[in-house]
Amino acid sequence: MKAEKKTGQNSINGKPKGSLGAMLLRLLSVFVVLHILWGLIAALLKRDMLPSPLVVYRALFKLDGGEMLLNIGTSMGRVLAGIALALIIGLLLGLLMGRSPRWNKLLDPVVYLTYPIPKIALLPVAMLFLGLGEASKIVMIALILVFQVIISVRDGVKAIPANTYDVLTSLGAGRMAKFTQITLPGALSSILSTIRISLGTAFSVLFFTEIYGTEHGMGYFIMDAWLRLDYPGMYAGILLFSGVGFLLFVLVDLFEHRFMKWRA
Amino acid sequence: MEKGSVIDARYVAEKEEQGLVARALTVDYGEGPVLGPLDLDLPAKGIYTVLGPSGSGKSTLLRAAAGLLTGFGGSLSYSGRSMGRAKAAGADIRVGLVPQNYGLLPWQTAIANIRTALKISRPEEDRAQREANSLRWLELMGLSGLERRYPRALSGGQQQRVAIARAFAIRPDLLLLDEPFSALDAVTREGLQRLLMESWRQQPSTMLFVTHDVEEAILLGRKIVMLTASAGHPILIDNEMVFSLADEDKRDHDAFHEQTRYIRRIMREGRGSK
Repeated sequence: MKAEKKTGQNSINGKPKGSLGAMLLRLLSVFVVLHILWGLIAALLKRDMLPSPLVVYRALFKLDGGEMLLNIGTSMGRVLAGIALALIIGLLLGLLMGRSPRWNKLLDPVVYLTYPIPKIALLPVAMLFLGLGEASKIVMIALILVFQVIISVRDGVKAIPANTYDVLTSLGAGRMAKFTQITLPGALSSILSTIRISLGTAFSVLFFTEIYGTEHGMGYFIMDAWLRLDYPGMYAGILLFSGVGFLLFVLVDLFEHRFMKWRA
Repeated sequence: MEKGSVIDARYVAEKEEQGLVARALTVDYGEGPVLGPLDLDLPAKGIYTVLGPSGSGKSTLLRAAAGLLTGFGGSLSYSGRSMGRAKAAGADIRVGLVPQNYGLLPWQTAIANIRTALKISRPEEDRAQREANSLRWLELMGLSGLERRYPRALSGGQQQRVAIARAFAIRPDLLLLDEPFSALDAVTREGLQRLLMESWRQQPSTMLFVTHDVEEAILLGRKIVMLTASAGHPILIDNEMVFSLADEDKRDHDAFHEQTRYIRRIMREGRGSK
């Protein structure tokens, strides 16, 4: 976020390209500094539980490509399915609550009451009802995300000034046209920022759900390496997991860059 | 049979020329009447400037005509077709609205804003037609080269011109402008007033122009509708003398100054008699 603010200042001066380069440089320097810190601590500790970056990267490149692809693919599938489910339900309810005071009155207490429940505590319930397979994993992710999505979409829709609709209304626009031309694009920025926050949460939840009932996935791989006392492998898994998360993050940013040009 | 259809046609033509008609129009948001009761007869294809102090219900009248008010008393019709209430607007009366804040969708480029309006009001036209129409009006408004800009990247005057281009592009029956130039500097305002008049002459429609500026009301209107702060009947002032002059002569002509004095006196007396 801090980096974003700084680049924002640069782009006002009309140098968006330079600011992109500057941002990459900053990211890279943080990346390097973290690794130096890691190396230093590892060298000081001299314990198996924290191998040096070199050892971990060597382990990373020795991993079986096909197997890791399967792990990553499985995890991505679960995360994306969970996010998609949360988005479908959350968008629907959020838009409904944002556009209609009556629905908001009806659903607001429901959201208010259920929002503070620590949803991860419902994991055993999900496992009981949905079994140990894919369903409980995906539903858990969706369950945790859906409330954030509902609330931010609702607030995003409510934040659109009422007179934004005037011209289209006077032209006789139907519900669908108003939705696609105003409500959706107007709420898109809050939808995107929810997805961004959701991604981090979704990955954490994913990790939990991959501890049980599966032989694939990044969470499984990391915990399996841990059980086998293969610490370099475990750290390699964590690095890979983080890398995948980072890539998804960048993807959301690119998406935002494309669709939020009007606000830049 | 034939005779009947001739009478029908004459009847329809008569209705067409009726333009905007209000009968005992009242608007009430729940805290006493904001407008009316109001009777108005504004024949089609005229320019009517609506003048009045704030609180006289100028914008409310415009919103009612634009079909933005869900409930009002009395009746409002255009060319004999009842309008305004609920979803009736736009059904068969095309309304080009230029709100005070320009009303451009910030997430759409200048041309996309016009295209969207056309897609809704002229669904029968194909893409190429809409594109050509949008480009033509942007060009007429002197906005060539700025089509792909987002509203954020346009000045206030430019945004206003996009909004006017959009209103004309749909070829409206009824053109409604709500203090469109009040936020602009004097030079920009004069330029836009001239542009508006030229566009209207190219494509006449029934135009309602709300303003609080006496001079603007006289420079633009064929008739001036004066609303008073205390809900009462509007005063309709004939402005043909000034309207028939060439745009560039209006400001310096005696008729203009006389009309200004006249209207100011009515405004003073209206306040005095209250």
